Amino acid sequence: MSPVDPDLLSIEHLSVVIRRPGREVAALSDVSLRVGRGEVVGLVGESGGGKSMVARSIVGLLPGGSHATGAVRFEGDDVLRMDDDALRRHRGHGAAICFQNPRGALSPTRTVGRQLTDRLTTHQRLTEAEARRAAEEQFAAVGIRSPRRRLGAYPHELSGGMAQRVMISLATGCAPGLLIADEPTTGLDVTLTREILRRFRHAADTDGRGVLLISHDLASIADVCDRVVVLYAGTVVESGPAARVLGRPAHPYTRALLRSVPDVDGRAVVATPGAMPLLKAAPHDCPFAPRCAHATAECTAERPPVSRVPGAADDWTLACFHPRTDELAFAEPAETPGRATAAERAVLEVDDAHVVYRSRFGKGGHAALRGVSLRVAAGETLGVVGESGCGKSTLAKLLLGLVSPARGDVRVAGSRMSDLRGGELRRLRTRVQMVFQDPIGSLSPRRTVADAIAEPLRALGLPAARRAERVEAVADRLKIDRSMLARRPHELSGGQAQRVCVARALAGEPDVLVFDEPTSALDVTVQAQILEVIADVVRDPARGSVFISHDLATVRGFADRVIVLYLGRIVEEGPVDEVFGNPRHPYTRALLSSAPSLGDGFSGPKVTLTEDLDDTDAAAPGCPLAARCPFADDRCRTEEQELRPYGNTRAACRRVPEIPDLLKGSDIRV
Amino acid sequence: MRIVRFVVRRLLQLIPVLLGVVVLTFLLVRVLPGDPIRTILGPNATPEDAAAARARYGLDQPIVKQFLDYLGGLVTGDLGTSIQSGTSVGAEIGLRIGPTFELVVLALAVALVVAVLLGVWSARHADRAGDHGVRLTALVGNSMPEFWLGLVLILVGYSVLGWFPAPSGRVDPDTNLTPLTGADLLDAALTLNGPAFGSALAHLILPVATLSIVVVAPLLRSVRASALEVLHSEPYVAATAHGLRGRTLLRGYLLRATLARLPSLAALVFGTSIGSTVLVEYVFSWQGFGQWALRGLLYRDYPVVQASVLVIAFCYVVVFLIADVAQAVLDPRVQI
Ligand SMILES: Nc1ncnc2c1ncn2[C@@H]1O[C@H](COP(=O)(O)OP(=O)(O)OP(=O)(O)O)[C@@H](O)[C@H]1O
Ligand code: SF4
Ligand code: SF4
Ligand SMILES: [Mg+2]
Repeated sequence: MSPVDPDLLSIEHLSVVIRRPGREVAALSDVSLRVGRGEVVGLVGESGGGKSMVARSIVGLLPGGSHATGAVRFEGDDVLRMDDDALRRHRGHGAAICFQNPRGALSPTRTVGRQLTDRLTTHQRLTEAEARRAAEEQFAAVGIRSPRRRLGAYPHELSGGMAQRVMISLATGCAPGLLIADEPTTGLDVTLTREILRRFRHAADTDGRGVLLISHDLASIADVCDRVVVLYAGTVVESGPAARVLGRPAHPYTRALLRSVPDVDGRAVVATPGAMPLLKAAPHDCPFAPRCAHATAECTAERPPVSRVPGAADDWTLACFHPRTDELAFAEPAETPGRATAAERAVLEVDDAHVVYRSRFGKGGHAALRGVSLRVAAGETLGVVGESGCGKSTLAKLLLGLVSPARGDVRVAGSRMSDLRGGELRRLRTRVQMVFQDPIGSLSPRRTVADAIAEPLRALGLPAARRAERVEAVADRLKIDRSMLARRPHELSGGQAQRVCVARALAGEPDVLVFDEPTSALDVTVQAQILEVIADVVRDPARGSVFISHDLATVRGFADRVIVLYLGRIVEEGPVDEVFGNPRHPYTRALLSSAPSLGDGFSGPKVTLTEDLDDTDAAAPGCPLAARCPFADDRCRTEEQELRPYGNTRAACRRVPEIPDLLKGSDIRV
Repeated sequence: MRIVRFVVRRLLQLIPVLLGVVVLTFLLVRVLPGDPIRTILGPNATPEDAAAARARYGLDQPIVKQFLDYLGGLVTGDLGTSIQSGTSVGAEIGLRIGPTFELVVLALAVALVVAVLLGVWSARHADRAGDHGVRLTALVGNSMPEFWLGLVLILVGYSVLGWFPAPSGRVDPDTNLTPLTGADLLDAALTLNGPAFGSALAHLILPVATLSIVVVAPLLRSVRASALEVLHSEPYVAATAHGLRGRTLLRGYLLRATLARLPSLAALVFGTSIGSTVLVEYVFSWQGFGQWALRGLLYRDYPVVQASVLVIAFCYVVVFLIADVAQAVLDPRVQI
């Protein structure tokens, strides 16, 4: 770690109140934190906790109607009191933000190259020609393939990962003293997340910048941060060295956060009930008290002052009357009773399915699935993992009959979908129900909760009285308050809406439940609550479930078997503990290696893929991973790979038997 | 290349549209009350005279035959003969369209430039005195009838100040302008006729001003709204947060993004400006296409009405085509 100069950024007692007609929000209440040169500080907490507000106040961009008190000192000067000129100099060159949604934050009508040269000419006083050359280097430095060509691209032509890289290059192009990254990895694949976060560590280590890394994803940022600051309802609840705070947190909220995160090592998630309050004024008590298991009368009478964690070094502080000092206990890994065996009744079978999305004009198209076969028995949960674009959601659509396979077929409870027409097909389709990623968006805004839950029952033609009965039964099972049944989706929180979606899926007693990223739009503690609900639902012995997620840790939590998809093919398939504990395919190993973990993580030898995912790899002959695989040889590039049994898993890689030796020979550990 | 293919495709799609317009106007003018023959023969004509005139213009034929004759003429480029003047409609249009075109194009261009400059300026100074002033002025200009506005401008510019020539004619006949296209300013420039150029320009200023004042308000309002939206958009805020200079922000991040939303609206405004043009031409005795088409309509001069509707429809479609191309050029996300 480079020497830390405490004076780069120092926020002192910052409070921000946003006043709008009919609405008052205490977005930040008495927040203090500091970032030194060469230091990476993580700012964590759930959405609405005030993370973005901190970022905006550092560059003097508070929303209209806000009233800020306290001080935001940057190299000694108070940003809140800067005049326009000083502020313009400070923005960009002093502190530069990487925005939360890079695609939205890039100007759609200017090439990304121009956007970068604009920053370079403004802040580094380069000429246009020098700036173009420097821009190319910058693009290469953030890992953009063929940088020269990309300089001329418009933002809509970039993938999410590429847009994020461009955003980072824009921010660093300002040569700022402080780099602020607001959720830089939301929506990115695990392999990319790691790589992007490393860029920030790099900026701190080699360029001596201070970095403020904002994230709700504790596991990801755990190993790049020097220190972390935890926000809750606009207050700092805990702050200190990353290893300490995330290893043995003292504040009950930090503990709740950590326990809510699924981990690839398979430990069980512990949910904390309730949700973060929306404060109208600075709190006079502990804002976490309603959810806290250790709350006493003191906690609701007074706001806990910021104090040192007992027995710890100076820089570990918290705001709590009853700090926890014991070991952070996790529940034992959930038992995954190998209930289902192959002999049991199969509720879902897919046989060599190919799905092609035709392009709108002309010939050709995009093959999203290339020969996928799978089987789900009653009572079994099948996990599906893979990077974005590998065909996870296409698989879900296929199972629901929303796309039809170009080849191969799908059988639900023994009936072949392609054999049926009209009413019979519609009834068969109700046997498969889906829970979507965006809970509020997947509910019709005009229907009440009760109507939404009854949807599949109506499709089955149940009389109204029976429908109402079933709806209440399902609502009770999922602990949906009866009073909520009359509400409409916009009156629900994300977590409540997702509960309703699960209830809707369950109402018609389907044979198969498909979950497509059911928790990725939710906040950490809410996510844990929903995962508990889902874990309960998939335990039904009469039903099979398919759980799709890009997050390996979540899948590990309750799948019995797992398939790993890569570019529309299954590359590995087997019992979850076997696949996660002893991955056979290099791709699975790479995914596990880059999966963030707060616990022990993946313990085997790790590998990294060499390049970003490129769609053109799918069409190349031979193994689709060959362009990225560290073990690829010439035969890999020409020979088509098929799933072969290795132990009780199957993998599509010819070199599986050699890989343990290869791993020993060249230490590819990261 | 893609743009050329797009334009050709759109022009081909235009054929059925225009065919529909031809059929509709043909039927509509005949359904409208009024008789062209009566208007040329006057009240004292005998039924025999009327029948003879009717036969002369082919109006005694069955309607299907009339239509087929008309269509046949169209294919060979013959728009028919004006019942009123007895001359070829095609030749009359050739004479009339140039001046009107010049007037409309100049007025729209002025209105666009003013709308963009003022609209963007207004948005950057939103809710300050200047912004309110601009918006109020535009509103007032927009609510004045073009007829009245034209008269006021004549009164002030010609009668009182004497800066501009009398509102009769488009160019001083003494300048010996050789007509080429009918657009006097353009002709003067092409024939290097200096005095004619000056005279044509002087004649143009008041009508162009009238027409632009009338159409500038809706454009200005939407430029301002669009610029405000861009100013509050995430990309613009991001660029500001990176400390870019005012000029870079204006040119690189505000202008094009604002203009990208404009073309389809400008095309609509073009549509409304056609009606205003007719009135402005009347006030300034412009002797242009609008005035001619209006008279054709008043006298139920079937071939003239049919031809002018066709011309207007054609212009409409072409203007929307231009708008689509401009949109595609301005907004990289638009695929054509
Ligand atoms: N422009 C705004 N106007 C009014 N209130 C706002 C505005 N932006 C944020 N808030 C409020 O301020 C609080 C803090 O919001 P902030 O965006 O900083 O949270 P966050 O932790 O970054 O959340 P996320 O993870 O969703 O980005 C929230 O209660 C939010 O509703
Ligand atoms: S102050 Fe009390 S309520 Fe708040 S976190 Fe600590 S123990 Fe819980
Ligand atoms: S077949 Fe070759 S390229 Fe493909 S995963 Fe195995 S070792 Fe890598
Ligand atoms: Mg945020």
